[in-house]
Amino acid sequence: MAHDMPQLTRRHVLGSGAAISAAAIAGCFGGDDDDDSFIHITQSQERDEDFDPVIANDAYSAQVYQLVYDGLYEFGEGLELEPNVATDFPDVENDGTRYLFEIHEGIEFHNGDELTASDVAHSFTAPVEEDTENASSYNMIEDIEIIDDHQLQVDLFDPYGPFELQTMAVTIVNEDVRTDDPEDYNTNPVGSGPYTWGDWSANEFAEVELWDDYWDDDLELNIDTVRFEAHADEAGRISDIDAGNTDVAMDIPNADWEDLDANDDVTVTGAESPTYMYMAFNCNEGPTTNPEVRRAICHAFSMQDFIETHAEHVASPMYSPVPPVVNEVWGFPEDEYRDMLPEYDPDEAEALLDEHAPDDFEPTIIAPEGLRAQLAERIATRLDEIGYGADAQILSFDALVDTYVTGEYEDYAMYFLGWTGGPDPDYYLYPLFHESQEEVNQGHFYEGSDGFHDAIAEGRETADQDERYDIYEPVIREIVEELPALPAFTQDNTMAIGQYVDGLEAHPNVASNPNLASKHYDVSVE
Amino acid sequence: MGLLKYTIFRFLQSIPVLLGISVIVFALANLGPGDPVRMMLHGQEYDQEMVEAIEARYGLDRPVHERYLTYMAGIFQGDLGESIHRNRTVLGLMGDRIAPTLLLVLSAYAFALATSIPLGILAAKRRNKPEDHVSRIIALIGVSTPSFWIGIMLILLFAVTLGWLPSSGLVYPWRTPADYRGIGSYPELYYETIRHLLLPMIALGTLQMATLMRVERTQMIDSLQKDYVKLARAYGISERTILRKHAFQVAQLPVITIVGLNLSTAIGGAVLTEYVFNINGMGRLFIESIDQNDYQVTMGITMLLATLFVIGVIITDIAYAYVDPRVTYGESE
Repeated sequence: MAHDMPQLTRRHVLGSGAAISAAAIAGCFGGDDDDDSFIHITQSQERDEDFDPVIANDAYSAQVYQLVYDGLYEFGEGLELEPNVATDFPDVENDGTRYLFEIHEGIEFHNGDELTASDVAHSFTAPVEEDTENASSYNMIEDIEIIDDHQLQVDLFDPYGPFELQTMAVTIVNEDVRTDDPEDYNTNPVGSGPYTWGDWSANEFAEVELWDDYWDDDLELNIDTVRFEAHADEAGRISDIDAGNTDVAMDIPNADWEDLDANDDVTVTGAESPTYMYMAFNCNEGPTTNPEVRRAICHAFSMQDFIETHAEHVASPMYSPVPPVVNEVWGFPEDEYRDMLPEYDPDEAEALLDEHAPDDFEPTIIAPEGLRAQLAERIATRLDEIGYGADAQILSFDALVDTYVTGEYEDYAMYFLGWTGGPDPDYYLYPLFHESQEEVNQGHFYEGSDGFHDAIAEGRETADQDERYDIYEPVIREIVEELPALPAFTQDNTMAIGQYVDGLEAHPNVASNPNLASKHYDVSVE
Repeated sequence: MGLLKYTIFRFLQSIPVLLGISVIVFALANLGPGDPVRMMLHGQEYDQEMVEAIEARYGLDRPVHERYLTYMAGIFQGDLGESIHRNRTVLGLMGDRIAPTLLLVLSAYAFALATSIPLGILAAKRRNKPEDHVSRIIALIGVSTPSFWIGIMLILLFAVTLGWLPSSGLVYPWRTPADYRGIGSYPELYYETIRHLLLPMIALGTLQMATLMRVERTQMIDSLQKDYVKLARAYGISERTILRKHAFQVAQLPVITIVGLNLSTAIGGAVLTEYVFNINGMGRLFIESIDQNDYQVTMGITMLLATLFVIGVIITDIAYAYVDPRVTYGESE
């Protein structure tokens, strides 16, 4: 038996093609809608699609879920914490090992459950109990006692310096829903934040919807729906904002900044972030174990000039391992550190190398692609100009991660890497300079002066912030003086925004962007 | 040898080929530089104990040969392993992403066939005339220009400058209008699918179009010079009929070969096209898995591409043998 099928002729096919083309070019129906309270965000990297803060460990998933959850404390305009679900700052007792928190009454999760002290306690303890990748952020907590529905007491094993500046900014999950089905919770989160979870399609888009019953009436919320998509290709993101396919594109390359800035339909903005890009020297083997050789290399090129020519709009110079935006909270003498760093002086560089380095000194510099690779090549060129040279090797990130911890001179004399931390100096000093992190997070193997590593550990284990300042200041000074790692630059969080979006500014913390729900900003779409 | 026997024989021949490919793919993925666990943990405090725990979880602490045997045993049971970076099975991840890739590749192929055959015939018919020169220049540009660059140029022209078409993304025709903001009906959904698909389809299909057009032109020129075509002309048969009935059909055999063999090239080309146009397909997944050193996903996709290539070759051989009576099924003369 055969069905009668309409005969498809060449004329029909060509006719259909022409009609489709004409319709496409004319744009006679469909297209973008004009919903004023909708905003489309283009992220710069794919999310891991983990929306349960207990297990999530990537900033791009956090950019989405930060609108769905509340933090016990949250960042203000900068990296200073402000009470959010907590009514005030905690009472600190027992020499900085006990923190007493009180939370607002009447806060509800999106499913109607009340947010209680038990939810806060679960949010603190679950990462360690479940051995997630975030365990190291909470493993200083020994015990939590729930005093009543709105008060809890957190006891630490020992005083932990960064607790007050970052750990207590825990994101609060709904304990009952989460423990009932953790897997489902990860992609269908229930928070108490200003937005509820909306449509989501893995690695395609995620939407959050404004929650009309949000507890904090002081928050100005004008956007009904926020849609997140990721576009990893830089040129693609720029095309998206240029073509009006998105309202906000994150992470703008320096090369495109001026073109976008000249576009009347787009605003470009940036904020310094807590990132620390650096060039570390091999202090384990080879001529760079000599601080004079390290100093000579730093004299051989101008970091300032490099940043101005290659990254003027997207990076800022830094003069110590503590990023400037973190230093705004701490106030270390950054100007003094700047004056201590070697200035561009090729004659001095040559003289020092002649005196302290072997005649055939040609160090290997390993760096990941991008700006740091360009800087590595710039240094090699400058060293070549003074008669030495360097072998700049641009490695894939995975190869670099394998190589920079060997400590062998034949692998590297210098390596470029970066670190993104929080508002506490510990996040930069401990992982990148403490001896316990050798072969793990650092491969310079810097021994330091007597007490250098003890001081870094002591700073971590001290609760009093003034005392910590006094502990850290000499440590930072020594790093700037002895140069186991040369501070290179700090990267800015940048975004291009359609000019019809009002009030949106970049936040220093990458996971807090887009900053659509904050007391400090009133974001709306015209 | 009959057609069925020949088909079975060709499929059996492909088994050692695929095993060889699996060894190469596994070795390249696992013995290259880079450690996925260190990549995963980079940027946070960790210790050796944590590294070892994660390695044990994904079986990375075992010798390579043991891992290979486990991997192959899994493949025979339909298990391609679990992604190291995503808490998902590789098969599940690929399943989510294969449909957009197929939509892109098949539409690019449709575009290539729809344009290359008429242009090839036109070039042959108007040999050494301006139409022929133009089509040859188009073919030359198409063959020598990478698809991602064509994609970027198309975006700049049609999305950024003219604003006619979207610069990225894809609207899936298998979804409902409710899944998309601003789409209210199925005709609109299909219309948006076409609008979103046009640029990546052209970017990816241009190479296939150019390749096919060159073959089509050559074969048509050859056919049009055959004695039976001259005889048909002498009988006064119209040029249109000669082209359609006498020259065209005979000229299609090499085109079939190229179509089959180029299928895997097209899927390979989709990797960069998807990246440029931000299409959530297997190509983008492949790039991400390479970036993250996610062995299992990289191997899974490579094995799939290799299998598709081998199947493409087999189908081409069989089709060729079936269409052309002069091709035998392997019997000795």
